[in-house]
Amino acid sequence: MYYLGLLGEYLKNYMKTRLTYRADFWVEIVSDLLFQAVNFIFILVIFMHTDSLGGWSQNEVIFVYGFFMVPYGIFGCFINLWGFSERYIVKGEMDRVLTRPAHNLFQIFLENVDPPALAGSLIGIVVMIISGGNLGLSLEWWTLPALVLLSVSAVAIYTGIYTALTSLSFYSDAPTGILPLMYNIQSYGRYPVTIYNRAIQVLLTWVIPFAFVGVYPAALFLEREEMRSMALLTPAVGAVFLTVGLLSWNHGVRKYKGAGS
Amino acid sequence: MSDSLMAPAGGGSAAGPQKSGRGLLLGAYFDFIRIRFLTMLAYRVNYYSGILIYTLNIGVNYFTWKAIYGGGESLGGFTGAQMTTYVAVSWMARAFYFNNLDREISTDIRDGSIAIQFIRPYNYVLVKMMQGLGEGLFRFLMLMIPGMAIAMLLFPVQLPTELSSWAGFLTMLFFSFLINSQINVLTGLSAFFVENNEGVMRMKRVIVDLFSGLIVPISLFPGWLSKVLEVLPFQAITYLPGSVFTGRVQGTGIWSVLGIQVIWFLILLLPIIALYRAARKRLFVQGG
Amino acid sequence: MNAIEVQDLRKTFKVQKNREGLKGAFADLFKRQYSEVTAVKDIHFTIPQGEICGYIGENGAGKSTTIKMLTGILVPTSGSVKVGGYVPYLERERFVQEIGVVFGQRSQLWWDIGVIESFQLLRKVYRVPEQDFRKRLDELVERLALQDLLNRPVRKLSLGQRMRCELVAALLHNPAILFLDEPTIGLDIVVKSEIRDFLRDMNREHGTTILLTTHDLQDIEALCSRVIMLDDGRIIYDGGLEELKQRWGTGVEVQFQFGTPTKLPQLEQWSAEMPVSWTAENELGAKVWIPRDLNVSDLLAKVVGKADITDIKIIETNTDDIVRSIYQSGSAEKPAEQTAADQDGKEAVHV
Repeated sequence: MYYLGLLGEYLKNYMKTRLTYRADFWVEIVSDLLFQAVNFIFILVIFMHTDSLGGWSQNEVIFVYGFFMVPYGIFGCFINLWGFSERYIVKGEMDRVLTRPAHNLFQIFLENVDPPALAGSLIGIVVMIISGGNLGLSLEWWTLPALVLLSVSAVAIYTGIYTALTSLSFYSDAPTGILPLMYNIQSYGRYPVTIYNRAIQVLLTWVIPFAFVGVYPAALFLEREEMRSMALLTPAVGAVFLTVGLLSWNHGVRKYKGAGS
Repeated sequence: MSDSLMAPAGGGSAAGPQKSGRGLLLGAYFDFIRIRFLTMLAYRVNYYSGILIYTLNIGVNYFTWKAIYGGGESLGGFTGAQMTTYVAVSWMARAFYFNNLDREISTDIRDGSIAIQFIRPYNYVLVKMMQGLGEGLFRFLMLMIPGMAIAMLLFPVQLPTELSSWAGFLTMLFFSFLINSQINVLTGLSAFFVENNEGVMRMKRVIVDLFSGLIVPISLFPGWLSKVLEVLPFQAITYLPGSVFTGRVQGTGIWSVLGIQVIWFLILLLPIIALYRAARKRLFVQGG
Repeated sequence: MNAIEVQDLRKTFKVQKNREGLKGAFADLFKRQYSEVTAVKDIHFTIPQGEICGYIGENGAGKSTTIKMLTGILVPTSGSVKVGGYVPYLERERFVQEIGVVFGQRSQLWWDIGVIESFQLLRKVYRVPEQDFRKRLDELVERLALQDLLNRPVRKLSLGQRMRCELVAALLHNPAILFLDEPTIGLDIVVKSEIRDFLRDMNREHGTTILLTTHDLQDIEALCSRVIMLDDGRIIYDGGLEELKQRWGTGVEVQFQFGTPTKLPQLEQWSAEMPVSWTAENELGAKVWIPRDLNVSDLLAKVVGKADITDIKIIETNTDDIVRSIYQSGSAEKPAEQTAADQDGKEAVHV
């Protein structure tokens, strides 16, 4: 309850800040959409040259992409750790966060909320509806609850991975640039991972499990039997990675050295 | 480089005759390369994760294309073997030309430290380019070469046999760096005129990756789109050097694709000079 | 009851060594070397409730590190800390509810929105009931004259205005202990004294315990009954400000202006049996250094009436000089050859 109240308060402040820079708000939405469009072009181009990607049709791949956008938008809105190292470690804002009576990681999430990212989630839903319609998928009683559960689990996976990686900046003296590199990798989870070789599949499933934010859970709705068990595993993977992320974060905070003397 | 870009540099020649002043300044620019190189070495985590992630990028793209090729012989004029080589060399070239100058410049602008940079007796944009080059050299020696070696072990990459392909590719790689950095500088300087250019920077990043041919070779785009892309500067960053390396462009053809790069390099200087001047004016007349 | 108890507190940082040159940098890439720096070395002090204590020392002496351990930001390497009954880093979120922190060089307010919005948010963060919040805010706003600033965004405030708002932000939840890290840095004299008055009143009215670090010794003179001085991670002095002056204020300087030229040997002869030292400024001016254990009047009695004096000025060593000379010697133990050493110290500073 306390944290929900805080979330409301921070969102209010976000809106107030944003109203002073209104143009930015739209620039950000447009750039986000363009970003998605560009990824979309890649899929379209691929299917100009082939009918199936590892046994998946164009509509299926697009559906996966649509699903991928939903948790990604939620993650981008509420969990924004870009620039953590510069802002909170190098400039020392972590000091302030640590002297406030709310969990430090949660405060950092709140201070960086980014609602325009949610536009991506909406578009993702539209994409799922259109491509799902093309595929003749039907809306079952479990579809919506499953969508919510799997999206939340996928957000947990993102949060776990990025929190764990970001907590490295508590140990390393140098600001780390791993996050942007991850950015490329996470997009690989939205293609049928079976096209990759064994090593990469294992990597994307168990080590940095980006397959669980895209193709596995989406397969449940596409009724692809071969990935059903993986899809059902998504919440468990989410719980595990979130726990790992939070533990390494809390451990990192204890190693925090502060900025300057 | 253009004289107007060099203009503020003349101020630092108190040391004596003009010539030695210039010499000192040149030495200072080389120092920026050296220092950035050393700085990059200090970021150990970045380095190791960089090698792994670039290899992974090549792997994923390789398998994606393998799946797309299926049993097919040739796509957009690329054979399967050429595509493998193209993917590997494009990602490795990216390791060299990629830098965060846009982010650095806009950070300088937003926190106001650019004012100090502008009154120093050197050219700010040139210094940034030099730092980018230091970073690039580091990535070339420490990332691209070992990365390429790893890629060759894992995937069937074919190296060119012609000397001209090697010479052409390496020259063009340098121009890739120049053009990509120019685009970064332009994006960074835009922070002078937009309150928050985060969106612009993100957009640029995606557009460069896609339209330069890194993710999809230009010739595979639908006809109209590849026609459009051929008159944009992005293809000069990845697609043209990649074509030389894979042997799709050979002999005298190399001269003409190199020519395209040189032309884009020169064209892109114009908006940089214009923006730089406008930025100076804005900084000194309006006080930031 | 003690507000702060610190025992054998130590903080060690691992600092990475950068080897020199290109070869060194390559070597660092594969095998990194670290060295240990101990910023705080087994210090030990207690601060009773309601005290204002100054925490001083040169840059890098370990002040901020201590404050950060006391506020729960850093985890001590060894030793124990207890602040307001809590071990700060263990129950951080409960603990910080009881304290207020102001870092003079960093803002805790939102940059782009009105000050009042920041306060509202902090009310939620600290779970202050609306009524208490109103009452407290009105009180603080009135006391610090912030009425006209409340709706202005922080970026439009002057440093002095911002600092007053920072104080309000740190005090909204009525903390029992207040930590101030260089609260007056960069402020003009008027604002400085406003802030000092405010802190003093707050200490008197609410019994707030205050620990402040500063480089401005006037803060200390105006506020603190007690000073802890730190050098190279160790406490070199802990006690009253008066006592510090007593112990270190090594003497008094008296300046004379004469109506007729008066020679140095003459002056020395008049005060021959006293261990004082004379220096001549010119024919018509001289000054004398009198150690603290002598009476100034005894010396004056010897000179007045013999010389043709037009003006006398008595100069007490101020805290600045005292602290400066302690920093220079690196110890608050009163040196044996104090007079000479101190004289030298003073000279060196003026050069």
